[in-house]
Amino acid sequence: MEKKRHISLSVWPLYIWTVLFVALPLVYVVVISFLQRGDTWGVTDQVTIDNYVKMVDPMYGSIFLETLAMAVLTTALTFLFGYPFAYYVCKLPARLRGVMILLLMAPFWINSLCRLNGWMILLKSNGVINSLLLNLGIIDEPLKLLYNFGAVVVGMVYALAPFMILSCYNSIEKMDWSVVEAARDLGASAWKAFVTVTLPLTMPGVVAGCVLVFVPSMGLFFISDLMGGAKTVLIGNLIRTELTAARNWPFGAALSMVMLLATVGIIWVYKRVSGSKSLGDLM
Amino acid sequence: MKKLVSKLGLVALALVLVMTLFTGCQQAEEKKELVIFSWADYVPSDIIDEFEEQYGVTVTYNYFTNPDEALQKLASVDGGEYDIVINSDYTIDIARKEGLLMELDKSKIPNYEKLNPAYLSQFYDPDNLYTVPYVPGTPLIIYDPSKVDIEITGYNSLWDESLKDSIVLLDYDRVMIGLVLKSMGYSLNETDPDILAQAEEKLLALKPNVRALNMDTPYETMLSGEATVGLMFGSQVAWVYGERPDFKVVYPEEGMGFGIDCAFIPKNAPHPDVAHEFLNFICDPEISARISMNENVMAINCNLESEPYLSEEYLSNPALFIPTEMLGEKEFIEDIGAEASEMYAEIWNRFKQA
Amino acid sequence: MSQLYIWVVLAVMYLPMLVVVAYSFNSSRYSNWEGFSLQWYEELFNNSAIVDTLNNSLMLAFFSCALAILLGTMGAVGMAKSRFRTQGLLENVSLIPMMLPEIILGMAYLALFSLCRVPFSMITLIIAHTTFCIPYVFVSVQSRLVGLDPAYVEAARDLGASQTRAFYDITLPLIAPAVLNGALLAFAMSMDDVVISFFVAGTNSQTLPVQVYSMLKSGVTPEINALCTLMLVAVFLAIGLFGLGRALFKRASRG
Repeated sequence: MEKKRHISLSVWPLYIWTVLFVALPLVYVVVISFLQRGDTWGVTDQVTIDNYVKMVDPMYGSIFLETLAMAVLTTALTFLFGYPFAYYVCKLPARLRGVMILLLMAPFWINSLCRLNGWMILLKSNGVINSLLLNLGIIDEPLKLLYNFGAVVVGMVYALAPFMILSCYNSIEKMDWSVVEAARDLGASAWKAFVTVTLPLTMPGVVAGCVLVFVPSMGLFFISDLMGGAKTVLIGNLIRTELTAARNWPFGAALSMVMLLATVGIIWVYKRVSGSKSLGDLM
Repeated sequence: MKKLVSKLGLVALALVLVMTLFTGCQQAEEKKELVIFSWADYVPSDIIDEFEEQYGVTVTYNYFTNPDEALQKLASVDGGEYDIVINSDYTIDIARKEGLLMELDKSKIPNYEKLNPAYLSQFYDPDNLYTVPYVPGTPLIIYDPSKVDIEITGYNSLWDESLKDSIVLLDYDRVMIGLVLKSMGYSLNETDPDILAQAEEKLLALKPNVRALNMDTPYETMLSGEATVGLMFGSQVAWVYGERPDFKVVYPEEGMGFGIDCAFIPKNAPHPDVAHEFLNFICDPEISARISMNENVMAINCNLESEPYLSEEYLSNPALFIPTEMLGEKEFIEDIGAEASEMYAEIWNRFKQA
Repeated sequence: MSQLYIWVVLAVMYLPMLVVVAYSFNSSRYSNWEGFSLQWYEELFNNSAIVDTLNNSLMLAFFSCALAILLGTMGAVGMAKSRFRTQGLLENVSLIPMMLPEIILGMAYLALFSLCRVPFSMITLIIAHTTFCIPYVFVSVQSRLVGLDPAYVEAARDLGASQTRAFYDITLPLIAPAVLNGALLAFAMSMDDVVISFFVAGTNSQTLPVQVYSMLKSGVTPEINALCTLMLVAVFLAIGLFGLGRALFKRASRG
């Protein structure tokens, strides 16, 4: 069937909203990133590309790299823990699945600072885990569990796991199980059937989950501040400092643009790899 | 289809029920109003209640999390919307230069005379036209003598090798680099790139001893035993000392940095008269003492006539009641302009990244 | 075995929450467990400001989620039926709020709203929150539509159903789970946003997360623990009511 160019009426609200409240602010950010910083704050009308040139400094390179490493690790771990969860939930009877997803999401409707505080009570020197181990006589000295790279990873994985789980779940739930059964009937082991049939069929959801975890993990500044003792600088922290304490709006805007472009690049690669036309497969 | 509508309806119903559970009875009253803009609980609620009752005012408290963000918001509403802002001194300096402050009418603040002149005429308000000092604070060192083998006397003690991975510092470039400069005998507000490069080198050598950087809750890092030495703001030290009087508070021998959070009225405040009444109210000796002693504030008192109202516990806390001769050496962190601020921020980033 | 794994993951998800619940009854302010006490609940109930900000936050999350569901679902459904030059661009741009750091978005709104002399209020908050909630609903619905057989809708249309009618009777029930999933995430994002909310809130529309973060300066964590405990209870109450209502409805419609 030949399709003509036309816009459905129901797209218009989204279209107008996006132009007004996304495109306009975005243009503002782009413009700012090419201006000179003002004396106290704000910008002057001097056009410059210094804000981008400045990023060549090796310090910013290492911050970008560390951010990237953290994001990759977080994404890998959320997949390792999240996929089996989504998979097993899909094996439950239909009426239980919804309940499980609700149970999973419930803590995430509550303040994240509060949840992080819970982790800190668990991990700190005189916290729950250390007290337990000390009382059991397993250790003599409290373990230093907080304020290191590992603690930041725990915080990140915890905060972002629902994104991975929900998108894997969407994909697995849609899957046609009879294909897996056919593979089993033909003599494939459970593991082999999973690797050769289930996983490839649900790959869109997996890749989508990866993007949904990867992107925000670059911007979550407060997790590295609270759980990592602010000793790890991620791009998100850097942008925040530049926009507040350093009052350098143009540089903050330029950093945000680079981060945005990196994200768009990742999604572009994803589309190339998965052959998907729309971002809709993200979830 | 019906099923879906009823499902959505049920969700909505459940939400509304939960919402009404939390909804108190709000009544609209024709009263005088006052809008305060500061950190949560920085003006204790009992003080606000008393002010509301005495002056027949309804107070709206607005919160910010970061002084710089608060400054930006204030600038974007052109010094309107808020009647009283309590913020850090350096942001007030910028706000003054940007013309965001309203000149105070001292005749409406008779209690102003009771303020300790030691905390007046500072860089952010040299002629005392705009501000009322609210909470003065100085970064101090506190440590757990049972776990620290050396005697800490000042900033330079922090570099000692025995303190490996055990110090919590403020996550604040100006204070921390400033204190390194101070420990080298320079000014807190140094802008010479060569001297700053030396300071960076010295700062980087401190990194192995750093357990954590924390701006808002370093006291928790100390109290949980994560860190055995802490360099933090005076009120934070006071909280730690209040819980653990066996800890030792150090007035650094190299001299002290200083900062004052002040109250001011923005240029286009909607209710300037009530704002003046409020400033007069918090300058009252008894009220001032109660604010200083409040567990959410815990700060040095800057009222000359407050001492009779201060408790024994307060007066014996070394982080709160600092001998005046120690304060003689105080130096403020001042606005050093865009270029130098940038250098500080970069040094700090490299330090954190190291 | 598979059931066990589900429960283990859920246990880990709830572990920090359980600690928070336990510590909300701790009599000590800073230190470890020192004894049972209800003082933080007492302080919480005396703190009328928290009630107000929580109220604002719930209202905000509710309205921005509703708007996001409306705009996102309509947009995704319409997009599936449309072909136009800027379609790909629109799709990508509408997802950008998900990819930009909150603070830069917040500052852009701050600048734009004050430039256009729009007073900061609940309205500006709802606009900002709706904007970053839309992508979650949009993406979720679109992925559901990708796998949807257009034959259903066409059959309904052939049988004489109007376009609207076909949407309500056929498309909507099929995409409902995706709408719900997107809304779950959107609600969580809205209830958790500090930075954007701070910049666009008016003097009478402060939200809870801003207040909670602001409290850090004076360190009142036990009170926050008490608050989180109550919120957790409320969430479970809502889920329970939802489940109960659904069960009753099913029974009624069956009998």
